[in-house]
Amino acid sequence: MTHEVVRHLLDDYVAGDLTEDARVPVLDHIGVCAICRSEVDDLEKLAVQAAALPRAVEPPVQAWAEIRSVIERDARVERTVSRRSSSRFRAQPYALAAAGLLVALVSSGGTALYLRERAAPSVAVAPPAAATADPAGAATLAAFTIEENNYLREAAPLADVLEQQQGVLAPETVAQLKKSLRIIDDAILEARNALARDPGNRTLVEMLSANYRHKVDLLRRTTEMTRSS
Amino acid sequence: MKMLAVEIKDPADGPGADDVRRAQVGDVDSFEKIYREHSPRIYALCLRLMAGDAQSATELMQDVFIRAWRRLDTFRGECAFSSWLHRLAVNVMLENARSDGRRTARVLPMEDTGKLPGAAKSSGIELSMDLESAIASLPRGARMAFVLHDVEGYQHQEIAGQLGLSVGTIKAQLHRARRLLRERLER
Ligand SMILES: [Zn+2]
Repeated sequence: MTHEVVRHLLDDYVAGDLTEDARVPVLDHIGVCAICRSEVDDLEKLAVQAAALPRAVEPPVQAWAEIRSVIERDARVERTVSRRSSSRFRAQPYALAAAGLLVALVSSGGTALYLRERAAPSVAVAPPAAATADPAGAATLAAFTIEENNYLREAAPLADVLEQQQGVLAPETVAQLKKSLRIIDDAILEARNALARDPGNRTLVEMLSANYRHKVDLLRRTTEMTRSS
Repeated sequence: MKMLAVEIKDPADGPGADDVRRAQVGDVDSFEKIYREHSPRIYALCLRLMAGDAQSATELMQDVFIRAWRRLDTFRGECAFSSWLHRLAVNVMLENARSDGRRTARVLPMEDTGKLPGAAKSSGIELSMDLESAIASLPRGARMAFVLHDVEGYQHQEIAGQLGLSVGTIKAQLHRARRLLRERLER
């Protein structure tokens, strides 16, 4: 084998991935070629160093608390959702989607109502500076941000599918859907802004979470409808 | 600052199948045990995949465990729980990279990722070892191939399957990673 051929086989040679009939001529060449021999030495050294790197690194201590708060909230929302949806709806995708629209609207309306009540003079609102300095608030917001990213990631491709497939739905369904999405988006935006001012407010976090979840549910059900029609 | 290496326990003393079963029916405390046991391995993987950026690595790891919790019912015990989690980590990272790319084009072209400000140093834990910094400075594709194959010990075939690429592409990325690493380590 020539140097040109062998030098392309050195990675496999060092990894032990060559068959016997390829390995022997490579070994012969290494015996006479200083360039390939030094390349093999380097590769072997690198493999040893890589294998010796620490395989475990202790994560930051606060990481678990944030995970826990997300999964505990998950469990609470799950319980609420399972109470709401009945097997009657499960059998009928259209009825289910209609229920989704309704739930989304009711909950988004709730957010608006809550925010209006909070804005009323009788409700004390913590000043922004105090709120941002609150470490518990920062943790709540940090945990929520992870969750929010998940929702955004889930919602984006669904919205893409819907955009492309909306022709298969009845125009009034599309109009209704767009209206609902707009209401949810407004509620999300309003609650998000309120949360930025008051990062420790768990009620806001839960409402925002519920709105995101409804948005993703609504998108998912509607894309399922476009697929089945 | 150094990477805080911790000892890897024998899988046999790991959280038993009992913890996994209890977590599957919603026991958060059992899931915490699983987290305590597996998070150092998953975090080390995330840290390397995210080029040493501690904040992104922490977010990725949190995302992995949150999704693991949500998908626990899909774990049927055909493979070790640690392999299941590990695969999930790589998948989550790939999904995130794809959707981030679509949403904000935050993922730079492969050639440029080595120049990210967080590439060789990190906000929290600094990777002070030469090899760690050199790995962090690799382009993304080469870095993933190297971390999964040479550090984590996956086979070409497994990595190709996970990344949705051909074995030839993985080998080419590995070759490139090793060449770049040797160049950077010589300097
Ligand atoms: Zn040669």
